Amino acid sequence: MTPTLRFDRVSFSYGAVQALSDVSFALDSGERVALLGRNGAGKSTLLRLVTGLARPRVGTVWVGDWDTRDATPDRLARRVGSVFQHADQQLFARTLEDDVAFGPRAIGLAPAEVASRVARALAALELGEHVREHPYDLPPALRKLAALAGALALEPALLVLDEPTAGLDRALRARVTRALLERSAAGAAVLVITHDLTFAAESLDRALVLDRGRLARDSSLPGLLGEGAGGGGALEALGLLPPPVASLSAALALPGRPIRAADAARALARVAGGESRHLD
Amino acid sequence: MTRLALERVTFRYPATEAPALLDVSLEVPGGEVVALVGSIGAGASTLLLVAADLAPRVVGGRLEGRVAFDGEGVRGIVLPTPWTQLSGMAFTVWDEVAFGPANLGLARDEITRRVDRAIARLGIEGLVSREPTTLSGGELQRVIIAGILAMQPGLLLLDEPTAELDPIGARSLWELVRALAREGTAILVATSDLDALPAVADRVAWLDRGRLQAIGSADLLGSEALVAASLGPTVANVWHGARLPSPYPVSVAQALQRWEQR
Amino acid sequence: MTRLHPFTLLAIAAALPALAWILPAPAGGLAMAVVALALALTTGVFRTAVFTAAPFWLFLLLLHDIPTTVAIGLRITTMVSSFVWVVAALPPPRLVEAMVAAGWSASAAYVFAATLSAVPVLRARAGRIADAQRCRGLSPRGGPVQRLRALRALAMPLILSALHEVDERGLALETRRLVPGARRTPLAPPSDHAVERVTRWALAAACAAALAWRLR
Repeated sequence: MTPTLRFDRVSFSYGAVQALSDVSFALDSGERVALLGRNGAGKSTLLRLVTGLARPRVGTVWVGDWDTRDATPDRLARRVGSVFQHADQQLFARTLEDDVAFGPRAIGLAPAEVASRVARALAALELGEHVREHPYDLPPALRKLAALAGALALEPALLVLDEPTAGLDRALRARVTRALLERSAAGAAVLVITHDLTFAAESLDRALVLDRGRLARDSSLPGLLGEGAGGGGALEALGLLPPPVASLSAALALPGRPIRAADAARALARVAGGESRHLD
Repeated sequence: MTRLALERVTFRYPATEAPALLDVSLEVPGGEVVALVGSIGAGASTLLLVAADLAPRVVGGRLEGRVAFDGEGVRGIVLPTPWTQLSGMAFTVWDEVAFGPANLGLARDEITRRVDRAIARLGIEGLVSREPTTLSGGELQRVIIAGILAMQPGLLLLDEPTAELDPIGARSLWELVRALAREGTAILVATSDLDALPAVADRVAWLDRGRLQAIGSADLLGSEALVAASLGPTVANVWHGARLPSPYPVSVAQALQRWEQR
Repeated sequence: MTRLHPFTLLAIAAALPALAWILPAPAGGLAMAVVALALALTTGVFRTAVFTAAPFWLFLLLLHDIPTTVAIGLRITTMVSSFVWVVAALPPPRLVEAMVAAGWSASAAYVFAATLSAVPVLRARAGRIADAQRCRGLSPRGGPVQRLRALRALAMPLILSALHEVDERGLALETRRLVPGARRTPLAPPSDHAVERVTRWALAAACAAALAWRLR
């Protein structure tokens, strides 16, 4: 089966500055991947290559069976839904609903299909009560979700997101987590730049780590976080800290070293001899 | 003696009937960090604007009750989106940080001293000659905070100051907040970084739909009510999920202590 | 040249076109155009100046005879070159510092600087918005109707997001004490020499004299 996204020995530079060097990896349908690394490690460049806003100098980026060198960003929008930082600046329609419909309309879907995708996207992020509001009347955090809804409504094979939880509180972060899990269960691959490792632990399961343009790690996310919580310093070298659940699991020696709150609660309850309850 | 005092403050934005703050009384003495927690729209940002003397003076709206700030130094507020806070008048980071102090009309060597110190405290020495508009969100957030610190505020108001920072950057900022409090600054901070609060906040104030629901030590974050309102730190959440008795531990260290005393 | 006091640079940029219009054509215009283009050459914007002025020549040629075209064309070339040169030679912060040092209020200087510094900020934002909309499927191709729609999807967010930020920007400036009547300390006031002051007065006097001579 063709991977949803494949980087084949990709290098990219801005003038004399080498942003990515010889990066290779593949994402399959349904995978949920965190893209980690310090500022300037090349994460945003990698996202630009996926969306077709930049083209590799060396190597090939495959989105399904499309070589991004042969596809414009607007054509790639049929397969890639993206949310960049400051995504709230892209909103412009009179109602939230209309703005979310912009992408599906732009890629030429029939009105009925547009309507059902918009409804699904808004429902996934629990934005139903705001559909008729002007995007700029929403608080900044909800505008951010509005932009994410716009990407979800494309129902793409691949979702790429840049810091989707910056400025969101826990309840809203949980909405993003639920929406991503839902999309990935439906077969979408998800690639997320984030420094919010609590969110990453709840939502994602694999980690790609960039270091000065090179792919330094490609491993399971629990593995990476578990190592960090064990005091290896692997995370700290990347500007990251182990999230509280991983630290708690390590400190209490919880079996299986869970990194998600619900798993940790279950493990804790079992050790304490009780039963856990459902956590959001 | 530095002190911010809000007495029975009710505030309505222009052209709205529903109050954004309702009958809020709160005191922040110098040397103390008070954290405002609440869900979106609970009124934390509004409370900061009121405390900064920007609402209603600049924002408009109607205020009932009394807001008083005694003490030395200005009131400085760091707003949530860093890129809207650039002065537009500075073409290097150093000049950006110097913008406030220059507007205060300080002597040039005093400005230099304060700006260099603020830059050092935020660890942005490497950025001084960069053009502010070319900075990343995290860099910009530090520059904006430095710009306020260089004005030497007696009352520092922070609205989501770590939103753009990576975890290491956030940890350094919280350490800086503690250091500023030790020097006597009164600090009021609205944040959704609940896991950081036990180590940062002397007191936690819970706002819900404009009302001050509860105020207490950081252990308040481990109460049944805050955890139920999605405002508990991750550790408290896990404890709650495991059906262990409340009040829940708010930090890994506290959890470990409870676990060993079990 | 670029180390001259901002007011001297502005005086030169104003005097050249003024003299080009006042002095008799085509000699006056030619002399001033040569000076202005030479200045543009020194700051590396010669090509920009020439390419900006070229379309004017084309239009003039369509509307007028050769002597009129040359007369007006040289004057317009002087204006364009002087402007292009001063924009390249005078960084806005230096101008602001000079204004503050000369006793202008900080708010007035701010309006001036903000206008200049808004251009790169808006350009960067327009780029981000264009990227985002293309990734939402917006095609830059198609007929006039599609293009108009595309333009709307680019222009509206730019305007809305900028307007939306005005309030917060106002609060941020207020908290940093950019308030009417604030006595701002100039951070690095540009040095001004007696020679430069004399030059500025001389330029103004030259313009006045030329005008008097022409009106006599």
